[in-house]
Amino acid sequence: MSGKMCSSSSILQAQKLVDQLQIEACMERFKISLTAADLVRYCQGHRRSDPLITGISSSSNPFKDKKTCVLL
Amino acid sequence: MSQDPLEGCRISAGKKSAVSLGKALHPPNLLVVVEGTCGACVAASPVSAPEGSCSYNVAHHHLCVCVRVCMAWQGLQKGETLASLKQESENLRRKLEEERGKLTDVELHQVAEKVETVAALSIKTRRVLKGHGNKVLSMDWCKDKRRLVSSSQDGKVIVWDAFTLNKEHGITLPCTWVMACAYAPSGCAVACGGLDNKCSVVPLSLDRNENVTAKKKSVAMHTNYVSGCSFTNSDMQLLTSSGDGTCALWDVESGQLLQSFHGHTADVLSLDLAPSETGNTFVSGGCDMKANVWDMRSGQNIQSFDNHQSDINCVKYYPSGDAFASASDDATCRFYDLRADREVAVYQKDSIIFGASSVDFSLSGRLLFAGYNDYTINVWDVLKGTRVSVLFGHENRVSRVRVSPDGTALCSASWDNTLRVSRT
Repeated sequence: MSGKMCSSSSILQAQKLVDQLQIEACMERFKISLTAADLVRYCQGHRRSDPLITGISSSSNPFKDKKTCVLL
Repeated sequence: MSQDPLEGCRISAGKKSAVSLGKALHPPNLLVVVEGTCGACVAASPVSAPEGSCSYNVAHHHLCVCVRVCMAWQGLQKGETLASLKQESENLRRKLEEERGKLTDVELHQVAEKVETVAALSIKTRRVLKGHGNKVLSMDWCKDKRRLVSSSQDGKVIVWDAFTLNKEHGITLPCTWVMACAYAPSGCAVACGGLDNKCSVVPLSLDRNENVTAKKKSVAMHTNYVSGCSFTNSDMQLLTSSGDGTCALWDVESGQLLQSFHGHTADVLSLDLAPSETGNTFVSGGCDMKANVWDMRSGQNIQSFDNHQSDINCVKYYPSGDAFASASDDATCRFYDLRADREVAVYQKDSIIFGASSVDFSLSGRLLFAGYNDYTINVWDVLKGTRVSVLFGHENRVSRVRVSPDGTALCSASWDNTLRVSRT
């Protein structure tokens, strides 16, 4: 009985795998030349608002160590 | 043939999270083992169903349970054998590879040739957060860009103000190895979980004297450790990944399981939600070396990538939602284009031989920060595939790296018991 249970559960798993692959096969895919161009465009478009690339001025950086005050 | 194959079935909880049921089918006399959840007969959390029997009406079954048994039934009717199914899956795999290959008309770094190189980064550690008594395993930023939550092997979860280094809240969990923590979108609660097989939500109080640990509420229940957690767009739903091989979506208020995601064949180590504009999907990665993309509503696995050669420790979406990156024990990080449905870049060097534990993108998606088990953080140029910089400082493995919500800082958590916040 246990032998039969194993074979039917592996048939079930194989069936699941086939169905999963069929779902994936039906997916609409696009050429890399198009999709990669979009990725590059996104990067370039958001470049200016990326502080780690453009850097931030000391005055607006809350983490920069403040210089000591000078009492006049 | 019209008889209900599931009539009068017994349900017993298996060793795994799946609820399995069996029934002798006539003819042929076989036992069909079905894995899945039944939304109706197991009241609170089907993932860890109580032992015992329960009979139910087929009309109330969760759809995928019915479909799977029917398919098995039909499959057996058609005389499908294991061999013929294996052959079919091989054919489908080959067809998928062909389809993907046809669309590879150019490489990502070729398209990025005209893009100017990134200027040398001058990122320095600006804050060191000390306070955990043991390895820091995870951290997450609050949307207010200054608070963050971290969790540790010492069983503690700490909420910090990264500007002042003030510890605002400390939550003690009854277990060690709190592997997952997340800040709620509102900033009013945190979620955490780990070896206790649960993920709990803790509302944060403005009153410093109040004991927040007492208000902790268990939301998610898995049958193995919780490796990752994330709130969805609101404080009301929580997505978790677990060592039991599944991911699950929970309603925070009632603790009810809303959807479970089956497909990984080993521990799931990480998950990340797609940026909200791009719809209801999330990506997960695990010890089966696969990265899967899921539809949150249907529970369906819509895309799968098996390029890595070892456990995938972390997955993270690209800011536009059209791609994602992964970090693995095979010492590489990879970049996958979701619309082309394939891996488009591998970030590796002969000199990097230790596993990568965590990745995150800078705000524009140009930089990929990756934490490694050799105590360093490598910064990769996502488009060109080259390494831009290496960040040193930690004295043990880097377990997690996260860029702040406004993109100005990078926080890294480490097995050296500290967190570091770095900026330009």
